[in-house]
Amino acid sequence: MDVALSKTGSRVLKVFFALVVVFLYAPIAILIVFSFNNSDLPTFPLSGFTLRWYHQFIANGDLRNALETSAIVAAISSVCAVVLGVLASIALVRRRFRGKAAVSALLLSPLVIPYVVFGVSLLLLFHRLGIPRSMLTVVIGHIVITLPYTILVLVPRLQQIDVSLEEAAYDLGAGPMTTFRAVTLPLILPAVFSALLIAFTTSFDEYAVASFVVGPRTTFPIFLYSALRFPSQLPQVIAVAVVVIVISLIVVIAAEVGRRIAERRLGAPVL
Amino acid sequence: MYSLFPGKHGFTLEAWRAFVHSSVYLSLFWKSVKMSLIVSAVVVALAYPVAYYLALSGTKRKYVLLLVLIAPFLTSYLLRVLAWKVILGDQGVLNTFLFWTGLRSHDHPISQLLYSRFAVMLVLAYVWVPFVALPIFVALESLDRRLLEAASDLGASRRQAFVRVTLPLSMPGVVAGFLFVFIPTLGEFITPSLVGGTSGYMYGNQIVDLFGTGFPDWETGSVLAIFLLGVVAALTLVFARFSQIRDVAAS
Repeated sequence: MDVALSKTGSRVLKVFFALVVVFLYAPIAILIVFSFNNSDLPTFPLSGFTLRWYHQFIANGDLRNALETSAIVAAISSVCAVVLGVLASIALVRRRFRGKAAVSALLLSPLVIPYVVFGVSLLLLFHRLGIPRSMLTVVIGHIVITLPYTILVLVPRLQQIDVSLEEAAYDLGAGPMTTFRAVTLPLILPAVFSALLIAFTTSFDEYAVASFVVGPRTTFPIFLYSALRFPSQLPQVIAVAVVVIVISLIVVIAAEVGRRIAERRLGAPVL
Repeated sequence: MYSLFPGKHGFTLEAWRAFVHSSVYLSLFWKSVKMSLIVSAVVVALAYPVAYYLALSGTKRKYVLLLVLIAPFLTSYLLRVLAWKVILGDQGVLNTFLFWTGLRSHDHPISQLLYSRFAVMLVLAYVWVPFVALPIFVALESLDRRLLEAASDLGASRRQAFVRVTLPLSMPGVVAGFLFVFIPTLGEFITPSLVGGTSGYMYGNQIVDLFGTGFPDWETGSVLAIFLLGVVAALTLVFARFSQIRDVAAS
């Protein structure tokens, strides 16, 4: 006898699980259907197949600029966040120092602070320092909010690595830099990639903080938000939505599969 | 800091005094607290059975199913809100579908779907379900099944074993999940501004508007933001204490 679930209970939960999955994916499916619908408004009945909206958005220069801006911001901020994340994680896992608990709490605190508070405080900070709002201010904002995610991914991985591997490198005469490059980095590489991916996608999608500190060059979410106010742009936006959602689903799944393969090869337990 | 040192006037607590005595901001805060509590409770209630199924039903593909569950969370937040805007409008997908199939007449759309408190809570619940399933799944996954077997050997029914063993041991996951929704939802302004209309207006929107171009009042806005931060910090500290006691009790 199964102690956790009866046969009927298991069946009921299976149906419930399926319903939740339908609830989660139905809105996405509806977007996909209406992105090909030949009508200015997303309404039933469907009025025929078209690729018009996709053509329109490809031809939309503002949209392409916004996508490009977001790609640049996400690339720079994710690389910076991961570099800082690696350094912070090594310090937290490998070193002993005073106030470690406080430092760790401070580094992770952005996870439990509402983004609106961050947006406001960054706006005031930049205002006080006289830094004009630009892509740079968005990059800084995104580094702040993605850093804790990179630490959350990197710390468990570092904890799994046997310290004696690094000690062996030191014994064989390697300096700290060589040890990091030849031993530590290759071992944490899968986690570094996950961290990079999480930071990149978070930044690419981030609206709340960016809305306070964005400069004249708008990022993709800022563009989307303003486009949502114009009904005439809605079908185009739906087409963009479909492209972005499908790409991010593919990336997420590919990354997860890749991480599993990589960690299995490195012989570490896969979480 | 801006709230304590408002520019040229020097140090003053005037903005705080105004905040504490304002019925507008505080009642808006309570409204947001209530909405966030409902959303968090609904999300946990939806996520718990789902996590339970994945962790304890013995299905072989649990990690694949977990990925299926979480994947939507990792796609664009704004676009998932957009999807509901398209669905819920008076002339949206849901209503026109009902007209088309004849289930409702054109003159009587289900109004109040979009631009309402209901819309805000529905969309927020939709957005957070996958993420909350995660900590609950982890808590249930690490549950020692022998405890359940022991309960069963000692004559407990499945229901008793669930109430006395599984549920208490998964509480840290439940509380973590609850806070994961409650904290961001309390400061939420994107969803209410897109699907909330005036009745779905939340505390976060008020903060944004005080920093907006209409009638900016940075001092008051800062006070509102700091107050929110204080509430959130207090909640987090209480939770940290709570989970430490749990750890001690477990070991």
